[in-house]
Amino acid sequence: MSVDVIMPQMGESIAEGTIVKWLKAVGDKVDRDEPLFEISTDKVDAEIPSPAAGTLLEVLVTEGTTVEINTIVGRIGQAGEAPSVSAAKAAAPQPSAPAPSAEPAAAAPQTAAPSATATASRVVRSSPVVQKIAAEHNVDVSLIDGTGEGGRVTKRDVLNYIDSASSASIPVSSTQAAPAPAPAAPRPAAATTTPARPQVFAGGEDEVREPMSVMRKKIAEHMVMSKHTSPHVYTIFEVDMHEVVKRREAMKKEFAGEGVKLTFLPFFIEACIRGIKEYPIINSSVDGDTVVYKKNVNVGIAVALEKGLIVPVIKGADQMNLLGLARTAADLGERARTKRLIPDDVQGGTFTITNVGVFGGLYGLPIINQPQAAILGIGTIVKRPVVIDDAIAIRPIVYLSLSYDHRIIDGADAARFLTVVKRELEKPQA
Amino acid sequence: MAVTTYIDAIREGIWEEMEKDESVFILGEDVGIYGGAFKVTRGMLDRFGPMRVIDTPISESAIVGAAIGASLVGMKPVCEMQFIDFISCAFDQIVNFAAKCRYRWGAGVPIVVRGPCGGGVHGGPFHSQNVEAYFFNVPGLKIVCPSTAYDAKGLMKAAIRDPDPVLYFEHKYLYRRIKEDLPAEDFVVPIGKAAIRREGEDLSIITYGAMVYRALEAAEELAKEDIDVEVLDLRSILPLDEEAILATAKKTSKVIMLHEATLTGGAGGEVVARIAEKAFEYLDGPIVRIAPPDTPVPYSPPLEEAFLPQVADIVARARKLANY
Amino acid sequence: MADRQTVSAKKTHYVHTPDEKSKLDMLHFMKLTREIEDRIERKLYRQGRIVGGVYVGRGQEAISVGTAIHMEKDDVVAPSHRDMGVFLMRGITARRIIAQYMGRKTGLTRGRDGNMHMGDMNYNVIAFVSHLGDNVPVAAGAALAFKQRGEQRVALCYNGEGATSRGDWHEGINFASIHKLPVVFFINNNAYAYSTPMELQMAVADVAMRAPGYGIPGEVVDGNDILAVYDSAKRAIDRARSGAGPSIVEYKTFRMTGHSAHDDAGYVPPELFEEWKQKDPIVRLEQAMLEDGTVTQARLDAMQRECALMIDDAVDWAEKQPYPAGEDVTRDVYFEG
Repeated sequence: MSVDVIMPQMGESIAEGTIVKWLKAVGDKVDRDEPLFEISTDKVDAEIPSPAAGTLLEVLVTEGTTVEINTIVGRIGQAGEAPSVSAAKAAAPQPSAPAPSAEPAAAAPQTAAPSATATASRVVRSSPVVQKIAAEHNVDVSLIDGTGEGGRVTKRDVLNYIDSASSASIPVSSTQAAPAPAPAAPRPAAATTTPARPQVFAGGEDEVREPMSVMRKKIAEHMVMSKHTSPHVYTIFEVDMHEVVKRREAMKKEFAGEGVKLTFLPFFIEACIRGIKEYPIINSSVDGDTVVYKKNVNVGIAVALEKGLIVPVIKGADQMNLLGLARTAADLGERARTKRLIPDDVQGGTFTITNVGVFGGLYGLPIINQPQAAILGIGTIVKRPVVIDDAIAIRPIVYLSLSYDHRIIDGADAARFLTVVKRELEKPQA
Repeated sequence: MAVTTYIDAIREGIWEEMEKDESVFILGEDVGIYGGAFKVTRGMLDRFGPMRVIDTPISESAIVGAAIGASLVGMKPVCEMQFIDFISCAFDQIVNFAAKCRYRWGAGVPIVVRGPCGGGVHGGPFHSQNVEAYFFNVPGLKIVCPSTAYDAKGLMKAAIRDPDPVLYFEHKYLYRRIKEDLPAEDFVVPIGKAAIRREGEDLSIITYGAMVYRALEAAEELAKEDIDVEVLDLRSILPLDEEAILATAKKTSKVIMLHEATLTGGAGGEVVARIAEKAFEYLDGPIVRIAPPDTPVPYSPPLEEAFLPQVADIVARARKLANY
Repeated sequence: MADRQTVSAKKTHYVHTPDEKSKLDMLHFMKLTREIEDRIERKLYRQGRIVGGVYVGRGQEAISVGTAIHMEKDDVVAPSHRDMGVFLMRGITARRIIAQYMGRKTGLTRGRDGNMHMGDMNYNVIAFVSHLGDNVPVAAGAALAFKQRGEQRVALCYNGEGATSRGDWHEGINFASIHKLPVVFFINNNAYAYSTPMELQMAVADVAMRAPGYGIPGEVVDGNDILAVYDSAKRAIDRARSGAGPSIVEYKTFRMTGHSAHDDAGYVPPELFEEWKQKDPIVRLEQAMLEDGTVTQARLDAMQRECALMIDDAVDWAEKQPYPAGEDVTRDVYFEG
């Protein structure tokens, strides 16, 4: 194997160098680092040492010649060895001028072929998003009356057009509205057949496509994953809220003094924590073949947003009193709605509560918030006639629904847990 | 919860980190006995002593250079530039030393350089500038521009805890004008995350710093004309929250980029370029930039008023874009 | 100009003199410094095996070696571009240094930066930047941290006389002086900053004359006499470590090369090279040691061979090291965990 000798870069801006003198002739022996040739550049004249010991096999750049840096100027190898010629960058004489082009310049600019659709065209100003929506719905933008600047078709225009298309049987594409313009020249029939686009809506149907927001996508993924992960089972209990209503009335003012609006939620959280203390399986998760019991009770509270929902977590809820729970829940709810939650706020939940009653639901069957094992749905509190000691009374009643992971929680566990929750909520005030 | 002004939120952010971590310290001009030209460091000398609240000579380069050196041996310095305009004196230390250490030789430089920026207070050409664009083209730096008291505190804590150099540009116009209830517990605002300050469907105003409030005022005006404006507060300029930028652009299809730094070469140009590059097909109108003209910040009130983007300007440009 | 480089009052009695082992160490590191720089500048660079700029401190080896020998393990150093001896004395191997020059992945900067722009906080060496004098406030900052934490550590900062014209140099020394920080500022005054001679760099004869302006001591020392360097550095470092504050120690020397490997220094009168060749710091120490019987010529020859072999090994090793991968270009701009 021969070693290439190159023109070194003697300075950051140096692009070329001149071989002034070879200090060895082809066939001469040379030691590693022994002076081999002299160069001259814009910045410096220098003696260049040999990169290897051996015999100077070849001189590729003669004295007085200027070459680019990194050009191979010679080769060192064993005496008698043939220089390897694979190196690509060996200096070769450069032609002094580029070879004349073989092709003569085009005689005249080519005239553009007239567009087949030119006859039907009406100059329409739109925008990238209008073109995109139109393409997705197979709508001919030229048929839409623009309301934008100078009659431009706006995004709202195209959406309105699509909206009204079904009811008024407005043509959505010019091919539907009128015969296609005659082609300029007869063509084989096949050539005029454009591949059929899937018709996004046919007569009577109507839809507007809207890409999911990032949050929507995450919710979608999470919900599907949960249903795939856990076999959901549901148990529903009825709870008399009579005592809680009384307690709340009694405490409301005191809490307001602390700047906290007392809702029913903290009472439910408190009752659930008691239930979890007695049946810790509710506050667990599955890791492979292992059941992981969580020492802390971190209660997630599902908060509905304008679009979507988020579940901030009351960390260490089991260490809080009613005031702490109320304050924390209010703060998290407020920050959720004003988008000021930080990532830590929504992590680490061990059990979740969702209020399906806030929008009037009697009860709901929520999906477990993975990797938790259970979620409690709170229905709307409604006054109902109930039988107490064989007499009919009117009481505020709520349905509590527990969705739980049947891999680790059985119906009996769930019922026992809900029994405790019910007991706590119905317990007369001390 | 206690009502906290923007400037107190900055102080609390630094203060709490200093309480928690002995390696955090302050250095700058007049930060000690005087408590800083704007009183951001008020009370810190008494609490933390002269070893951790260091009055320096008028030497911005030495302030930042010393912070770099201290950070290389384990400290977390917070440098005050008395006015952020003076950061130009420390430019070399920031862009050539601090920003490049990690990339070159793997040494982290966890420093914060903070100071009051912005106009609207008749400070003139050297006490009103917005300098983020000078540093925007310097890989290795992070840049934050809080607009709320919550962010001022949360971003300060994030900046101090960050393992890389962070430039923290606080708007002096907001110092005592903005206040809100802050949670008592420890919190941070992650660097690189924008926040939607108002949701809307028709048009997005992307902005940061004091201009957030101009944008919100303009949005109120436009709501009366049935133009529903979304306001995105970038909060961090470097790195940009590209996801949030593209999401709002795709949602409303019409974008105004608003900032208080002058127009040409401002950070908004990059935001606009990314939208044009990555959300082109969602656009329903030209992307509009609103920024002061390419002049120094003038002193006299009528000139400064003409210089700074006003609510009426934003409303007019937004109306035109909405009707485009 | 030549006069300016002459240290008038030649010292013969030093407060601190090195013991035999220290002398041998210093001789070894001066020789190793010269050997590695010689190989880099005169061989590898000219063979195109090293890319980019090459700046050496030939003839100035006594300054980095005679100062850095006093460093404790936890002391921090901010060297400049003619202080190769500092890196070697801190324990950074010749292998990694050559790999650094060759832009290899195992060089100190993993190919991100070249030549003397290297550092490693595992060795308490702060990498220098091309913007001369920037390391002065930085070294002061490290010293500030030592003072804040009550540590017995010092920071050493090296610059040439040219760097002292920059504002950062002034700002850093002023700040360090005010706060009496444990830092020493060594000036490697080699008479030329690129092609600019001392008289076009400053209107005073010595950089050290500026020290009283900061309220700190300044001393002018023969930088080619390693025993003088050893003594002066020890006094300055001891002073800093004791809490008495910084000082400026200016070492008069001469750059025996161009500014960099591509500069033939045609602007330097040839007789100056001849004159300074007679003051070679390595030869001076060798002669002194031969005279007092601490070494024999055979020992000196063996030391020289040992240094050459170490560098042979370093070159062979470095050349087998991989280059960094192009796709890693965007890594480590920020903390990656």
